[in-house]
Amino acid sequence: MNNANLAVRFLAVAVLALAAGCAGEAEGLQISDARVGAPTGPNAAMYFTAKGAAEADSLRSASTDVAGEIQIHETVTSDEGTMSMRSVPRLELPAGGQLVLEPGGYHLMLIEVDELEVGDTISVTLTWEVAGEMTVEAEVVDPSDTMGEESEDTEDH
Amino acid sequence: MFRRGGVLVLVAALTLAACQSAVSTGDLQGVAIDNPSEKGSFVLTDTEGESYDFVASTEGKLTLLYFGYLQCPDICPVHLAQIAEVLGQDAELARKTEVVFVSVDPDRDTPEAIREFLDRFDPSFVGLTGTHDELKVAQEAVGVPPARIFGEGDDYTVDHAGWVIAYAPDGLSYSIYPFGTRQSEWNNDLQILAKIGEGQSS
Repeated sequence: MNNANLAVRFLAVAVLALAAGCAGEAEGLQISDARVGAPTGPNAAMYFTAKGAAEADSLRSASTDVAGEIQIHETVTSDEGTMSMRSVPRLELPAGGQLVLEPGGYHLMLIEVDELEVGDTISVTLTWEVAGEMTVEAEVVDPSDTMGEESEDTEDH
Repeated sequence: MFRRGGVLVLVAALTLAACQSAVSTGDLQGVAIDNPSEKGSFVLTDTEGESYDFVASTEGKLTLLYFGYLQCPDICPVHLAQIAEVLGQDAELARKTEVVFVSVDPDRDTPEAIREFLDRFDPSFVGLTGTHDELKVAQEAVGVPPARIFGEGDDYTVDHAGWVIAYAPDGLSYSIYPFGTRQSEWNNDLQILAKIGEGQSS
């Protein structure tokens, strides 16, 4: 009786937690907002948000037919405000959390990228430690549109 | 919300501009500079191979100065695309504005490549280059930490100032624009800045 009661409560909490955690009906690793800045030089940067994975995962590599190579990069801002890029071996996605690639932070750098126009869509294969290979479609956007929604006006300068 | 605020700001700026020297920089959304600084003097080479005297060439214009490099896919294009978007919607503003992009990667960025890069945003953008020493002098002249190069061979990266310096037509810089500046902030500020000291030089 007591045990059953506890089990029901546990279940209810678990369901609630799941609903809150997933914020949707989808299960498993989901990629959203995949976008690539239209190339302005030999390289282009791709961004996306990954979430929904029940267990922690990590992005190990990526590839595409439209670029010679894809590297995982981080843009680092120094105390003086100078910025530089460095290559990182992997990106961690916490269990139940999210991994955000966005300008000024992490990006996938498409090296020796083909000519792409705004509005094009490219296919990129992401290789995750746990989820394995997953192909996503990314839209080519104007570089000024890579920053995402202008909703949070909590940018601190 | 944004639009209404923008109109009010514009009206305020116009009113103030009409009173000549009474200029309010309080409505600027960029990062304010405590003591507005004058333009630093430097001479570099433009994409046509001509000598470009920064102070002389930009006199009386709203001037946006940015140091970057072409293999920077993450932040450099965002700044330039945002500025191009504002200017593309306002020919009058564009006419009064000089956008100056200085490549700090002279070993890879040829004048032709810089021209091609800038033409993707706006063919009127000025592209400059020089020797490493000349570029260092230019960056120091405007108070920017000189770019540094990391790594070896072809696979090096560049550590460079991430902000755009804006100079109003009066030749002073009241604000800078770090990476993360929003399109609405550019829209707001370029309109205000263009009216500071407008017509004083002519």
